[in-house]
Amino acid sequence: MHTSKKQIVFTSIFLTTSTLSYSTNNMSSFYSESTFIALIILSVVLVAITALLFGIKKHLTSLNNEKNSEDVEPSFYVRKIQPILQSWNPTIATLVIATGVLLFLGAFGYKFGMEEVGVQQGYAPTQPINFSHKIHAGQYEMDCKYCHSTVEKSKSASIPSLNTCMNCHKYVKAEEKYNGKTSPEIQKIYDAIGFDGENMEYIEGYEQKPIEWVRIHNLPDLAYFNHSQHVVVGKVECQTCHGPVEEMEKVYQYSTLQMNWCIDCHRERSIDTENNDYYEEAHKNMLAEGKDYITVAENGGLECSKCHY
Amino acid sequence: MSSNNYWKGIEELDQTQEFVSTNENEFSEGLPLEQVFSNDDSTRANRRDFLKYFGFGLGAVTLAACNKTPIKKAIPYVEKPDQVTPGVPLYYASSSVSNEEGFPILVKVREGRPIKFEPNKEATYFGGGLDGLGHSALLSLYDTNRLKGAMVFGKRKTQDWKSFDKTIIAELDKVSAAGKSIAIVRGGSTSIVINEAIQAFSDKYPSTQVIKYNPISYSGITRANHASFNQAVIPAYNFDQADVIVSFGADFLGTWISPIKFHSDYSKNRVPKDGKMSKHFQFESLMSLSGSNADVRVPIKMSNVSQHLIALYRELGGNTPHQGMEVAGNNIKAAAKELKLAGKRSLVVCGSNNEADQMMVNAINMMLGNYGTTIDLSNYYNGQLADEAAFNGFIQEALSGKYGAVITLDANPVYSHPDAENAFSKIPVRISTAITADETTTNATHVATNLHPLESWDIKQPYKGRFIMSQPTISPVFEGRHAASSLLSWTGVNVADKKDISHAYTYTKQVFDRVIGGDFNEAIERGIVEKIIPVATPSFNITGGVIADQLSSKKGSATELILYQKVGVRDGAYGNTPWAHEMPDPVSKVTWDNYLSMSMPDAKANGFVTGDVVSIKTSSGSIELPILIQPGQAKSTYGIALGYGRQLPEDVKNDLKDLGKNAYPLIDMKDGYANFISKDVSITKVDGAKLYEFGITQTHYSIEGRDIIREASIEEYRKDPKAGSYVHKPKMISLWDDYDYSKGHHWAMAIDLNSCTGCSACIVSCSIENNVPIVGRDEVRRRREMHWLRIDRYYSFEAPTKKDLNLSIVHGGDQTVEAGDLMTQEKVMEAYSADSDTETAYDYYQNVRVAHQPMMCQHCDNAPCETVCPVLATTHSSEGLNQMTYNRCIGTKYCGNNCPYKVRRFNWFRYNENEKFDYHFSNDLGKMVINPDVTVRSRGVMEKCSFCVQRIQSAKLSAKRDNRKMNTDEFTTACAQTCPSNAIIFGDLNDKNSEIAKLYQNDRSYHVLEELGIKPSVQYMTKIRNIKKSNNQTAH
Repeated sequence: MHTSKKQIVFTSIFLTTSTLSYSTNNMSSFYSESTFIALIILSVVLVAITALLFGIKKHLTSLNNEKNSEDVEPSFYVRKIQPILQSWNPTIATLVIATGVLLFLGAFGYKFGMEEVGVQQGYAPTQPINFSHKIHAGQYEMDCKYCHSTVEKSKSASIPSLNTCMNCHKYVKAEEKYNGKTSPEIQKIYDAIGFDGENMEYIEGYEQKPIEWVRIHNLPDLAYFNHSQHVVVGKVECQTCHGPVEEMEKVYQYSTLQMNWCIDCHRERSIDTENNDYYEEAHKNMLAEGKDYITVAENGGLECSKCHY
Repeated sequence: MSSNNYWKGIEELDQTQEFVSTNENEFSEGLPLEQVFSNDDSTRANRRDFLKYFGFGLGAVTLAACNKTPIKKAIPYVEKPDQVTPGVPLYYASSSVSNEEGFPILVKVREGRPIKFEPNKEATYFGGGLDGLGHSALLSLYDTNRLKGAMVFGKRKTQDWKSFDKTIIAELDKVSAAGKSIAIVRGGSTSIVINEAIQAFSDKYPSTQVIKYNPISYSGITRANHASFNQAVIPAYNFDQADVIVSFGADFLGTWISPIKFHSDYSKNRVPKDGKMSKHFQFESLMSLSGSNADVRVPIKMSNVSQHLIALYRELGGNTPHQGMEVAGNNIKAAAKELKLAGKRSLVVCGSNNEADQMMVNAINMMLGNYGTTIDLSNYYNGQLADEAAFNGFIQEALSGKYGAVITLDANPVYSHPDAENAFSKIPVRISTAITADETTTNATHVATNLHPLESWDIKQPYKGRFIMSQPTISPVFEGRHAASSLLSWTGVNVADKKDISHAYTYTKQVFDRVIGGDFNEAIERGIVEKIIPVATPSFNITGGVIADQLSSKKGSATELILYQKVGVRDGAYGNTPWAHEMPDPVSKVTWDNYLSMSMPDAKANGFVTGDVVSIKTSSGSIELPILIQPGQAKSTYGIALGYGRQLPEDVKNDLKDLGKNAYPLIDMKDGYANFISKDVSITKVDGAKLYEFGITQTHYSIEGRDIIREASIEEYRKDPKAGSYVHKPKMISLWDDYDYSKGHHWAMAIDLNSCTGCSACIVSCSIENNVPIVGRDEVRRRREMHWLRIDRYYSFEAPTKKDLNLSIVHGGDQTVEAGDLMTQEKVMEAYSADSDTETAYDYYQNVRVAHQPMMCQHCDNAPCETVCPVLATTHSSEGLNQMTYNRCIGTKYCGNNCPYKVRRFNWFRYNENEKFDYHFSNDLGKMVINPDVTVRSRGVMEKCSFCVQRIQSAKLSAKRDNRKMNTDEFTTACAQTCPSNAIIFGDLNDKNSEIAKLYQNDRSYHVLEELGIKPSVQYMTKIRNIKKSNNQTAH
């Protein structure tokens, strides 16, 4: 009997700890595992059965004691802990315990909410075309701006349209790797835009279909971000936020894109006031105040409506 | 009884129980706690229910949290057009949609979607503004009720254009073979492309007859000009040349002929320069937008207008034995005196559609020498030329079976003409070229869906020699086809069908080369081509005396009904745009409804109150509508707005459905022309009808008798330019450490109450720019309108005439000023009751003055809202902006409570996803109009004017990117940009060269509630009225 009880307790403890450790270690897949939900339900059921069995056992023991009316030596619980608990005011005790539990859960939830919900750092979805930045930006050292051509003009860097790909891939077909055939990935471009690779001509009247890339960097709609501001005015390198893209076979989200990440940078980075006529007055004021530089934050870069409107 | 000088509505003036109780709190409705805590078991939630809902809620939240993060796609162009940069807007010059005759605008396009109209500042003749309906009409592009292509027999199922064309050609040939005529009923468009296509069509089918049709008619003017000058046209009016303007019932600022242009011209002389400004007399029955801006407004009966015109003619020295009729207070004499002084720099206009009335006006203008200065008959107006006599003739002929086919172009006669449906049913082939389902389309046998004006090419000629170019700004949303292409295809020309609009382009270019000539691409880029001729003075065929003889017998009636247009909805043609309905009427402030407007003395005499449903009977028919008591309205006159009460098929979801009543059948056609004034009407209360509640915005926020609006007369202003700003500046003691705004930018706004006419274009422009949701009539009733910018309309009483009142009025609580033109109700009543000539105690409600005041977030430097926000969701920026951070807001509404200007709005619902708010925000097509640079707010957050911070940021960025110093006047806010009278100026106070920095030095400037020490960033300029201090010349 003792062993079975212990078994149940151990199983439930194991399950609980394992779920906890699982959830903390691999929180990003927390939502997606339906088996995990089943595990939680299972553990709840097991805990309930344990409690039931405890109750039955206690009842049976007391019945047994009554029947035998033997003097049984009181347990450790009855001797030491019960008197302390009985001396407590039940209302206050309940409140204290409830507060403790709530605080614990709250702290857990807060940490979870602040750091995990909606953060997709490391997100590397499979794209419709196995495009390798490592080959294009790394091996061939192509300038990022060749394809992401609007990065200096617009809020979005923009994914290149297929005619940009065709500037090179009309001729570059990677045939050497595929026994003289066009690479299946490059063929996807041809299929979308309507290009006949064999005869080297565009098919007339072809119904073109765009490539549906999976968006990796998903800034919430409530935050306004402008690439041209950071690249042209702020002279921020692409890699500062996007990481070593030239080494990525498959692009992933390098930064957290959380607000504290934005703000940390705004607090540290200085503005090149000297070489931009817009900042003429700010530059004079800076020199008058005897400063060597002003940060983005000092220029109002932490104010809410610079990004939220 | 109120002791305030200014009041916003009769409820406030009378301090009704309801008004007092609803205005005690910031939000008129509390939380529905009484439902929860009431003893009534049926509505009471007990412990079990609570646990059930709590458990269910917890479970639902847990389940919802288990959703996968949605995968978002990024889909680039296959072949990107060269000029498109994703994220950067493009601007195309085009023509306004709702101003069918043509009005120059720019269309802001993001990623191939038109998202906003902006005025075309290059077209200076048209004034560089736009009206509220003009902005709203953008939604007609994204209307879910748009027709989808070629259709036969009214089924809402499309077929391909080729077989459709074959059917039509067969039908038309059959009609020709049978010897019947083909009618083309054409609306207000002045398209020269359509002109040419109609010509080609007529060549193929010689029996074609073109009938012009407009629901609103100005045929009185055209016929009078035909008789006077042999020119059947509406002239171009130049209000900017006029120092004295006398209008008899013409609402030229609101709805009459070409109000946007008139606005711009009118406002040029309304700001006092060197102590001078124009003087505006308005004689009218209803309280119109123009009347509310007049210096001297005289309530008259419009049925009596002929007598007043004769009196003016005689007073000006015209040779006639007839006396005419002088209005009490000698206002005709006063007007004549001013007109004589102004000479050829004056203008007399009249809203009557009677030919003889208009000839009298011509005679007066001729006598004053206004032809060639304020009236231009050479480069005349080209729009709205329809003659209802011709259309009535067509109706008769159609009933007799003369026509075998009818084609309607930009016209919806079945809705706006009571006999059209019957006449159309006698024509076997009825082809409609509508864009959206309407009454005429419902009755059509064939529908050749037109392209939306924003999808196609066109050239319009609103004024002779002034051409407005239209170009496509979006690829066709549905499978429509340009009406010109349709007409040509029926003559046998091969036009491309479906989405290919190359035929329309080629044809438009051909027409351009033939009619205008020059560089087509340059014309498209500028949007306007002007080939005007010098203004000539015409010779007058007829003498005023003869007309006076004709008119002398035309006398007024005991009661009259005036059918007018509302500023927001106009004739109803483009009224299927919710923005236009949500925009409060500039004077009555009613949204979403038409009503019977009535004067206070009439209402008191009959025991009517606002909301009583009555039946009004005229010789043309009767109609049941609720009453609205309108201060300023002349006694025994009633008004109903046209453009409401659409009849549409069941499956059509239309915002105009169930809105008001159609008043078009009440137009009096007895005398052979459309008379919008019906004589001898009777009103009876409908038994058992419930009191109707309007969605009315004005009395929603109380001013608590504070000194918010300031005004002075021109004479006071000449003596002291600071007149009116009499409140001494309080000592500024601040609780806070003052921030130094002298560095960087300091954004601010100036609003000139002299220029502002209250037209409300800024409200709609703001709503579109900032994704402000439409809430609908029911929510407006609950005071939940979301407009970031509102225009407050204040009434004040004029002092009674015939009494030299020596009253002193207390202003601002501590300073006594002289007796003047501002009167409290107590004082007026006192004076009236002592006046033995007054018949009714409430007659003084006819003599009110109106002031309009745009009110938005004042961006106070010491903002009271900021200090009470528990989560710092509203904070101040170093550039002087009061920032609102939606994602931080938790919706306590403390800020709204603490705002002295009441400009903060709370999102009670998620309007963009809630099916109950089925306007445009909640459907996929309507969502295309959303400005991608501005957050769509969710439920439960506060919002307010941001000074268009997205535009500020974008302009700053553009300067930084170009490595240049910023010209702070290179951009402006949406409200300032669209203002046709240039009343709103926005800019950087720290830029000493900016317009705003100069305006802040103006003597008339004041800040609303500056005594609170909150340092608002919006400056107002005292309204100066061109009147004397003594009230001798004002009306009674």
